[in-house]
Amino acid sequence: MNSALQTQQARRLLNWAIFAVMLALALAMLLPFMWLISMSFRKVSEAYKLPPSFFPSSLDFANYGKVLASRGVPFLQIYLNSVLIAVTVTIGQLITCTLAAFAFARLQFPGRDSLFFVLLIGLMFPAQVTILPIYLGYAKIGLINQPIGLALMYLTSSFGVFLIRQFMVSQPKALEEAALMDGAGYFKIFWRISLPQLRPALSALGIITFTQTWNYYFQAKVLLGKNASMTLPIAMDVLRGYMAAGNLSVVMAAMSMAVLPVILLFLVAQKFVIEGVTMTGIRS
Amino acid sequence: MTTATALRPRSELSRAQARVGYLFIIPTSVLYFTFVLAPVVVTAILAFTYFDPLRGTKWVGLDNFIRFFTDRRSLQIFWNTLRFAFFAVTFNVSVGLILALALNRAMPGWLLYFFRLAFFLPVIIAAAFVAIVWSYFYGDDLGVINYYLRLIGLPGVHWLTDSANAMTSILIMDVWKNTGFFMVIFIAALQGVPKNIIEAAVMDGTPAWRRFFRITLPWISPVVFFCNVYCSIGALQVFESIVILTQGGPGDATRSLSILIVEEGFGSYEIGYAAAISVSMTLLILVITGIQQIVSRRLVQQ
Repeated sequence: MNSALQTQQARRLLNWAIFAVMLALALAMLLPFMWLISMSFRKVSEAYKLPPSFFPSSLDFANYGKVLASRGVPFLQIYLNSVLIAVTVTIGQLITCTLAAFAFARLQFPGRDSLFFVLLIGLMFPAQVTILPIYLGYAKIGLINQPIGLALMYLTSSFGVFLIRQFMVSQPKALEEAALMDGAGYFKIFWRISLPQLRPALSALGIITFTQTWNYYFQAKVLLGKNASMTLPIAMDVLRGYMAAGNLSVVMAAMSMAVLPVILLFLVAQKFVIEGVTMTGIRS
Repeated sequence: MTTATALRPRSELSRAQARVGYLFIIPTSVLYFTFVLAPVVVTAILAFTYFDPLRGTKWVGLDNFIRFFTDRRSLQIFWNTLRFAFFAVTFNVSVGLILALALNRAMPGWLLYFFRLAFFLPVIIAAAFVAIVWSYFYGDDLGVINYYLRLIGLPGVHWLTDSANAMTSILIMDVWKNTGFFMVIFIAALQGVPKNIIEAAVMDGTPAWRRFFRITLPWISPVVFFCNVYCSIGALQVFESIVILTQGGPGDATRSLSILIVEEGFGSYEIGYAAAISVSMTLLILVITGIQQIVSRRLVQQ
């Protein structure tokens, strides 16, 4: 009796210890973000002063103004490029992937499974093995240094089709079959019955795609070299060099603005992101 | 007769189905062919050529591959990439699993939200962004980490400027950035482990470590293998974190295959050679994925 009580107490203690350690770790994970926000509010003259700070001592947006007014790096234009590319790709993938996923999950046609297999192979090819011909092709038709060129490459994705199809397959078919019996066409079934059921999957794909596109670096570095056609991930590095030593705070102000949409999206829709990620990880 | 008439509308139905099916996959098929399949094939062909649009492209057979696999420098870069991937997979997946085990207990919803937020936030922010922050953390004289090391009386570390440390520093950042992804997947996988088996083992007095290796780990092993494959595919392509932290240096100490492809292809305009490197890299990804598939099939069946 006594020993059972003791082990229970020991287990409770262990539980608390684990929570404490995890809490400390979680805060440590956030330190780089706290530092970056805190730095963005520091006076330029004090940017490199030690000790570093993790909480802003004042909310002075002067550095933000400097980034927006910078002549050498057209920050607003670059921000707009990033938005344009991410929004185009997200909308594009939501349309193309959903259509294809519906066909692969719900319709019978000759060659369906082998076509799906060929599409899945695409998950294995890194951008490194497709970028050279795309670059050469774009150079011929004048799409280098055009933000839309980067967007075009990603209007569909094997991952997106896979994710939506996976979700569809796990949904009951009853409603769709009933509608078919009532003489509804496939377009109507797709639009009226399947799509509304897919809302969680579409949210997950939308958020994942937006984030991924916002973050593309390798492709953007190759295709978008000119200042005015850049996206944010490339521009940050350029800004770091351009603003040079004294202006750490200004770079961090730019960085805060660059990561803001993704962080907001995640704060609002954490559930969908986590669901999307686990869905691919567990069910495949 | 009756069967024939009954079949007719059905076959019409299936023809309509096929028509809609093909129609729905047209956008994805066209885009996929243009931006994935065709480029892959063209890259594979380019890898056997000396590309020169002015004087005419020449077929050079295996020359590019021979150059890649005999050149000291490219071999070092190949080895860098392989080594980075090995350690990145080991630490990302195992730390992710340990974190998931620690969080796999009853807690209020807001606390779980906070933990997921803290560990997953680095995952969704581009390495291109956070690597710049880390470059200031890793600074020699004005770096954040060295400041605290000196504060407690330790000597500062040349995180990025010493070729013996640079790769480790990049790895530390990589684990900070990516391990949360695997943690989230493992948390979901652990919730699928049947509770009654665990409880029965607890009743029998099986120690915790044994329960883990005998019950939990075998149960989630397919997920572990998925994470290994996923992580190695990503790690073999490592690019931006290195470009921003060290530009591949000091010397070639941290240069990766992706960096070499960009330098050869778009810096020196050695398109054929760059293509051969990308083909080799893709084959490496396929081989490593294949090996993991085979190993997993063996182990998971047991």
